[in-house]
Amino acid sequence: MKPFQYATASSADGALELCGKNDQFLAGGTDILGEVKEFVSNPGRLVNIKNLPGTREIVETDTGWKLGANVTIAEIAAHEGLRRALPGLTQAAAKVGSPQIRNMGTLAGNLAQHSRCWYYRHRDVQCLKNGGARCYARESENKYHSIFSGNPCISPVVSNMAVILAALEASVNIRRGKQTFDIKMAEFYMVAWFNPYAHNSLKPADLILEVNIPVKTRSCVYLQVSEKSDFDWALVSCAAAGDLDGNALKNVRVALGAISPMVQEVEDANSFLEGKELDRRTASMAANIILEEAEPLEHNGYKVPMARALIRRALFKLAGINLERETS
Amino acid sequence: MPSWPTEPVYIGKSTQRVDGPEKVTGEARYSSDIHNEGWIYGMILRSQWPNAKIHSIDLSAARNVPGIKAAIKVRDDEFVAHYYGQELAAVAGTSKQACIDALLLIKVDATDIAFVVSEETAINPDSSRVFPDFPNIGEPKVRENGEVDKAFAQSAVTVEGLYATQIQMHHCLETHGNTAHQQGDNLTVWASTQGVFSVRDGLASNLELPQNKVRVISDYMGGGFGSKFGPGVEGVLVSRLTQKTGLPVKLMLPRYDEAKAVGNRPSSFQKIRMGADADGKIIAFELNSFGTSGFTSGPSTAGGGGRAGFPSPYLYNIPNTRVRQAGVAVNTGSSRAFRAPGHPQASFGMESIMDEMAARLNMDPLDFRLKNDTHDSLPAEIRRKEWKIAAESFGWKEKYNPPGSSKGTIKKGIGLAGGTWGGGGRGTQAECQINSDGSVELRCGTQDLGTGTRTLMAIIAAEIFGLKPGQITARLGDTLFPPSGGSGGSTTAASVSPAIYDICHNALKELGEVSGMEDPTGNQWFAACRKIGIQPLIVQGRWQEGLSSRGVGGVQMAEVEVDTETGFIKLNKVLCVQDCGLVVNKLATESQANGGVIMGVGYALYEERIMDSLSGVVLNPNFENYKLPGAQDMPEIEIILMEMPERGVIGIGEPVTIPTAAAIANAVANAIGARVPTLPITPDKVLAALGKVPNKPADSLAGNWGDFDQKLNWSQYSPTQEEGGGH
Repeated sequence: MKPFQYATASSADGALELCGKNDQFLAGGTDILGEVKEFVSNPGRLVNIKNLPGTREIVETDTGWKLGANVTIAEIAAHEGLRRALPGLTQAAAKVGSPQIRNMGTLAGNLAQHSRCWYYRHRDVQCLKNGGARCYARESENKYHSIFSGNPCISPVVSNMAVILAALEASVNIRRGKQTFDIKMAEFYMVAWFNPYAHNSLKPADLILEVNIPVKTRSCVYLQVSEKSDFDWALVSCAAAGDLDGNALKNVRVALGAISPMVQEVEDANSFLEGKELDRRTASMAANIILEEAEPLEHNGYKVPMARALIRRALFKLAGINLERETS
Repeated sequence: MPSWPTEPVYIGKSTQRVDGPEKVTGEARYSSDIHNEGWIYGMILRSQWPNAKIHSIDLSAARNVPGIKAAIKVRDDEFVAHYYGQELAAVAGTSKQACIDALLLIKVDATDIAFVVSEETAINPDSSRVFPDFPNIGEPKVRENGEVDKAFAQSAVTVEGLYATQIQMHHCLETHGNTAHQQGDNLTVWASTQGVFSVRDGLASNLELPQNKVRVISDYMGGGFGSKFGPGVEGVLVSRLTQKTGLPVKLMLPRYDEAKAVGNRPSSFQKIRMGADADGKIIAFELNSFGTSGFTSGPSTAGGGGRAGFPSPYLYNIPNTRVRQAGVAVNTGSSRAFRAPGHPQASFGMESIMDEMAARLNMDPLDFRLKNDTHDSLPAEIRRKEWKIAAESFGWKEKYNPPGSSKGTIKKGIGLAGGTWGGGGRGTQAECQINSDGSVELRCGTQDLGTGTRTLMAIIAAEIFGLKPGQITARLGDTLFPPSGGSGGSTTAASVSPAIYDICHNALKELGEVSGMEDPTGNQWFAACRKIGIQPLIVQGRWQEGLSSRGVGGVQMAEVEVDTETGFIKLNKVLCVQDCGLVVNKLATESQANGGVIMGVGYALYEERIMDSLSGVVLNPNFENYKLPGAQDMPEIEIILMEMPERGVIGIGEPVTIPTAAAIANAVANAIGARVPTLPITPDKVLAALGKVPNKPADSLAGNWGDFDQKLNWSQYSPTQEEGGGH
């Protein structure tokens, strides 16, 4: 790593004052320290925001849940109230990294984490995302990359939390300069869809304060497939949230991760599902709508059938059915 | 003729490691824990080019970084750096950060040269060359027995297959490295090594020092698996840095560098044809294969640096066989010996086509093995028993269903595979010091790779002296002690145990004379030792014939569940049946078997070095994307040791890792009724093998090299006599 300054903020105002254009915030450090050590990121200053007041709380509000930016992934995974109210959130948190990473990593950090593309993270490769001329993955080793992208970079969003929070229609509360505003989870990665240099829609020195989930309780599920059983990134992740009225689907939202620079949500699929009876055919058709425009590359075509399976399973899981164990 | 005790107290039982407490409390001092006064850090600059002419290296700016005490080049002349990660220069400084800053300031004047990192590309005649004067792939070595073409013509059933194995990295949890300290004429090196004497001799010759001025110590080390025999470039560089500064220098490689330059298991690309008669007896076999052991593979060095060949045909008794094998050079770091060199590759290809043939013959793969595992050799004889023991314990006959017949989305399957290994070992010397207070110190210039050698020495001495293992102090890992060989080839236990036996019996004789007691062991021990007086008893001894042996067979069975919609493989169980002669420490032996199976699981399902053909770099030089199995990935592992004490001590480190990957691969194929022909077997490949990936048809899974033997016109090469098959 290159030398950098280190400062600790005790308020949001102070954090913004300390964080210049070439500086970065530091919370759990599980993402930024890796980048700094590999010379992928060379901040002038790291501003410690771990102690910002009010950012470490999980609160049930009148209308839903408020999760502070510095709540750790382990705290979410272990929260009994969340487990009962929003089980998919617990499932997504439990699948993040390793126990060490869950203990250190924060919710805001999980959402704002940078690309895990092995070219982007490589100290001896300068890829498009890192200011170079080409997306190496597009032409070469793209097994772990996107099957959708609106720009030449095919680095996918890999945040587990983003996928379930999108399905739950959560919003992120952000401080930018003197302004505080909310951004829908669905839009949180929008800029990365068309801008190869972006990891998400945040601007430099944007400070996440909290995440708000607009429901107190909802049937929801998070599934992922990885190569290993533990401590591995999702090849594809999928969340679904919604209600079941008898066997009819209501307000169902499906979201996928690791297949696009943004969380993959298709409104047509959600509206297709509205009011439908849950059966295999309906689930498969929803999957078709979501994956219709996929453009797999040489090594990531497997993500299409894998995503299709997860969408079907997630929908059935909302009804408490483990589809993969059913005999057809 | 010496012989082991027939009713032992400790030998063959489970003894906890004598150095366990030191290891778990952090008391144990590894090479990176040696912090002599004034010590500084060393660090290596490596080539960021996959192939480049290095014209000059300018160290002046690096030398000016505050804290930097020395900066040196690997070579002074112009040279070609043949791979990403080749050593160029090194620095030593008072902090890690000073060294990092200095490395960034070293100016390397280099010219890019076209490179090739893919074996499949490198075999083509129009590929860029690793060495301009040689093609990347040379003439194959050919072995032939019987009348192969005639036998194929007579075969009732013929099967053909393409199989490939990946580059596996050693990734020892303790990285390569040393702490070195030059004091006056004497160089002391604390090395993480499998061979203190080979490191000493390597350093002495590289640095032109007399061997008696170099001392190498390896008290504790965190794994080698074949990659830590010589000093390596890093050992020479750290020695030069301490010579230059007069300060102790610690140079341990970062994890990142482990992926580039300090060894790996060669890849293999195997085209196999097999013919059998209607009764299921294999009568014809042909293998054409290539693989890479890195930039020195291929004709430029006659395949130096660890060949890419492997034993073939593996295990099974086939009268008519033809084997052609060659190495291909690519611009990557060299292979080194890796736990059972050649055998896991051999096992994967052979056992895969064995199952394909069994399926074509409508035979249970177990029956097909029994019919063809008929060599007239001890390992084969042992294996014939092991197949039956394994089948019984595993419930093979009850569990077996023909390939692809498992119902539902998640399909179950079972598979099996066998292996063989030499082992053996000889030549160790050792000494024993007995003090008048009855305390015992054993000294032997072997090393403990983590396999429990220290405990093994203590168990044998305790057994013979009638003491407890905890009462024996076993010292090893020092070139001041009597010499032993490198710890490789599963030879340590068989080489060290007889030497300890010998010194202990010599010591008993002397102690008997000194004390006047006929039997000074057990209860008499302390009384006898009081007679020793001020000068302790020092007794030498050496390896003796008759207490150890070589040549083992093993079989493994695996049970998997495969999710046919996601491709995910859940490994439920691995059974390992292994012979290993006389077991000295049952706990450590089972631990070795566990470790071998775990490493085989990694080879089967997760591990692979990824080279990028576009940039020429290693893409996954970390544990994020070089995937090692973790606790959650572990199956139930059942171990059955075929104890044959009459054979004496035989090593077990290597044979237990050989069949694992092949057994798992066969279990997956049995579950889904389609074969993933390349390792590791990952979800993407499973889905492709099932025909579910539109842009990856199942028949494209092996790669694009299937016609290489025709393209290279290999039929023109005639046999060269050489040993090759593994029985």
